Formats: sequence, structure tokens, C-alpha cells
Amino acid sequence: SGSAGALAQWVLVELQGEVEPRQSGSLAGSLLGDLHYTCEGVPVLIVGHHILYGKVVQLEKPFAVLVKEGAAPQDSPGEPHGHYTVTALIKTKLLFKTRPKPIITHVPKKV
Amino acid sequence: RSRAQVDATLRAARLNPGELLPAVHCLRFGPHAAAGQCCLLQLEPGLCAELEAGRSLVIRGEKDEQAVLCSKDKTYDMKIADTSNMLLFIPGCKTPEQLNADPSSCNIIHSQIAGFSNNYWELRRCRPKLKKLRKLLMEDPYEGPDSRKDQALTVSKYTTEDLLSLIQASEEEILHQLQAIDACKIEGYWRILEFDYEMKLLNHVTQLIDSESWSLSKVPLRTCLEELGSLEPREMIEHILLSYGRKYVDDGEVYFEMHEDKICRAIAQMLLQNAVKFNLSEFQEVWQQSVPEGMTTRIDQLKGLALVDKSSRPETISLLKVEDLPEDNQERFNSLFGIREKWTEVDITPYIQDLCAEKQSVGALLTKYARSSTLNGVKVYNSRRPIS
Repeated sequence: SGSAGALAQWVLVELQGEVEPRQSGSLAGSLLGDLHYTCEGVPVLIVGHHILYGKVVQLEKPFAVLVKEGAAPQDSPGEPHGHYTVTALIKTKLLFKTRPKPIITHVPKKV
Repeated sequence: RSRAQVDATLRAARLNPGELLPAVHCLRFGPHAAAGQCCLLQLEPGLCAELEAGRSLVIRGEKDEQAVLCSKDKTYDMKIADTSNMLLFIPGCKTPEQLNADPSSCNIIHSQIAGFSNNYWELRRCRPKLKKLRKLLMEDPYEGPDSRKDQALTVSKYTTEDLLSLIQASEEEILHQLQAIDACKIEGYWRILEFDYEMKLLNHVTQLIDSESWSLSKVPLRTCLEELGSLEPREMIEHILLSYGRKYVDDGEVYFEMHEDKICRAIAQMLLQNAVKFNLSEFQEVWQQSVPEGMTTRIDQLKGLALVDKSSRPETISLLKVEDLPEDNQERFNSLFGIREKWTEVDITPYIQDLCAEKQSVGALLTKYARSSTLNGVKVYNSRRPIS
């Protein structure tokens, strides 16, 4: 169902691959990385030992973020039935498609 | 995470802070990020503006139905689209434009990732699923105030709210359809008139028009209510006039311009439902005699109501109502080809017209669901697959 008042605007970050916690355990509270922008507006994401370069994309078809009302998480992924609230709109995404550049922190010296 | 830590990471990554904007977002997963309570819905044009204007979108469908999304006046099918990428949704994350526009923006912005997903809901505009509306209202058609059945508490009745929760269509589409099928509100519930009762009401009106020698385009409401008010409830008299006429005001008085085609059509239905098939020419004679004085019957008034068989000797006509046929495209075509093997475009159009999507033509539907051939120099359509 709808919302009262102005809707929040969120941003989507699109990454290749999957997100996994560094140590086994839940993701909640754990750090993903630092998001910078170059002076030209290119987003740069540092995740662990990787640098990702991306671009800002204005979405042709914006997204609405729906939050399912009710305590339990969705019982099955394909089940849309139930009451939803539109929490936010997403009109912009930061797309990181390039291969991550690994950060080499220690270069052994040649003896 | 502190500025010092951020700078250390930048040094390790061999990035020059001078080439970067001063603000940095430190992204962290929020406490409920992995709970899966948030999902993404891709919006079709117009829906974003509707949401921003404060209007609602509703997801409708019972457990055994495919869910649809309804705006105020449109209906969309919902489908999950998978992506091989990970989508993270981040509140309060700023774009370079926003950072540049606000020089006072914080150096370190701690952003919490609210959720993530590798799929989202896609929408596709679809026809509202309105067949169920008629089905619900036909559970207990209204037979008139004297009907004993209506007094029973077990009568199946639906309010507007009931219909909104049961029908997979937008509110506007539902209200529009209620008008199209001549439903009326009786004691707060939407009802369809039982056909015989409807014909009884219509007959009162047409007889009165005849005895008063009124013009068919100027039937006065006030006199109808005066003359017929003792026979039937006033709301029902007005309802039948609204169903079969166009209301207008002239010099302060309410009149109706009667729909000749609709009246002839109703009388044809009354005649046709008494037998499986009629001799066409006999039917046409009886039909013309049964309609009010001054009205002319024409076969094309019966589109979507009756089917003429020109291949039989003598030619025949039988009742075939489009609203009795399946709602699903493939099932509709299967049903039609089960009734008749080969159809001309002229004959089949009234029975598939309602299947057309917003910008789709009947021709496009025929190309998709039928195969064409030529029979005696005429183009005909038959099924793409064998019909058992």
C-alpha cells in the first residue's frame, strides 16, 4: 500500500558476484567497504582487498523498495501475497561492472 | 571507521585523495539487511509519479491466483526477474551531484545497507481480471423486491470493498466494469438483475412508451416513475432506464434517449435462450415483431451474443455469449475452435475483441493463436493445434 508524506530516495549499488561475510556468521553490522567518488564523479568502491570502478546510472525504470509487513521474513521467495509498504524510491544506481582490481599490500623485495 | 582508517585504506590502494571528492561513504550492513524483508519492484512509466503523489499501489490475488499489482486505474502482472548481480539498497547514499551541490556535506558518511537482493519484481501491464466480477454477482442475481430468496441471510452479496479485495483489477477498472454490466447498488450491495426480472422491467417501460406514444429519444423519467411506481420500486425503474437509455436534462426535466440496439439485443437474447438453435429467417420474423414499435432489428446488433451458421440449410442462429467464454487467451481460442472449426475474421472478432491488449489488434491475436487458410475464396482461421 502507499505512503504518507515524501518518499525517501535511496540508491542502488550493483555488484558482480555474491556478498558473503568475512567470518562465518551474520552479515548484520559488518563492514562492506568505502565508497569514494573521483572529482569527475566516477564511483570507486574499496571492498576488502579490491578496488572497483563503476558508473552512476540514472534508472530508466525506477525501483520502489517494498517492505513486507508482519514479523517473519518471506516464507517463500515467490510469494508476493501480503501487505506491503513502499519505503523508498530508487532512481539512481551505482553500477560496478569492471573486474575488481586487487590491492597488493606487500611487494616482496628481490634479494 | 575513522578518517585515519579511511586514509590508510586509500594509501594502501594507491589512490590519490587529491583526485577524489572529500566525502566518503563507509558502507556497513544494517541489522536487518539479511532478513529479506525488503524487496525491489521495478516501476513502469507513470507509477513512480503516482507513488510520489502519495497514491497507493495494491497487490491483489488470493492464494490460488497469480498476483497482480493495481494502481488507481491500471492492472499489471508481476513476475520475478533474476539477475546474476547483487543489488544493495542504501538509504542516504549521495550521488556526486548531491555532494557537489552541498559543500557542507560530511566528510565521513556512515551508510547502512538496508537490504540486498539478486532479484526484483517486474511489471507488465495486463487486462484486468474481471470475469470473476460477473461470476460473483451472478451467484445471487436480484430477482425483484418480492423475491423470497433475497430475504434469506445466506444470499451472496458484495459491497465495493468486498469486490476490491476479491477482484484482481484496479478500482477504476472495477467500477467501470460494474457500469458496463449494468450492475446496481441495492442496500449497499452490488447486484446484477436476474434476466427475467430485467426483461419484466424493460417490458413495463416499452409498453408505457407505446401507450403514451412517446418518441424513443424523449422518455420522461417523472412520468415513468408516476405510472410504474405502483408496479415496481422507483430505483428499479430508474435503473432500467439508465441501463437502456442515455440520461439528459431538457428544460429542467430528466429524459432518456433509449438505446434501440441494446433493447433489440436484449429481446433477441430472451428469444434465443429458449432453444439451442433457431431457423434464422423464422427467428428474424419473430424478433422484429417482438421489439417496440419504431425499432428496427439487425443481425449486427447481436455481435458477441449470437452466432449465425450460414453453412447449414436452412441457415440457423444460436445463442453464444462472449461473457460465457474463458478469460485466458489460449483457452478462449480453444473454446471457439471447439464450437466451430473454421471462422472468418468478421465472425470471430466479436468473440476475441476483449482479449486485445492496450495496443494490440485483432489481427495480431489471430496471427498468434490461429492459422489461416482459404476456403471458397474466403480467408478463414482455424486452430494451430488439433482440438480433441
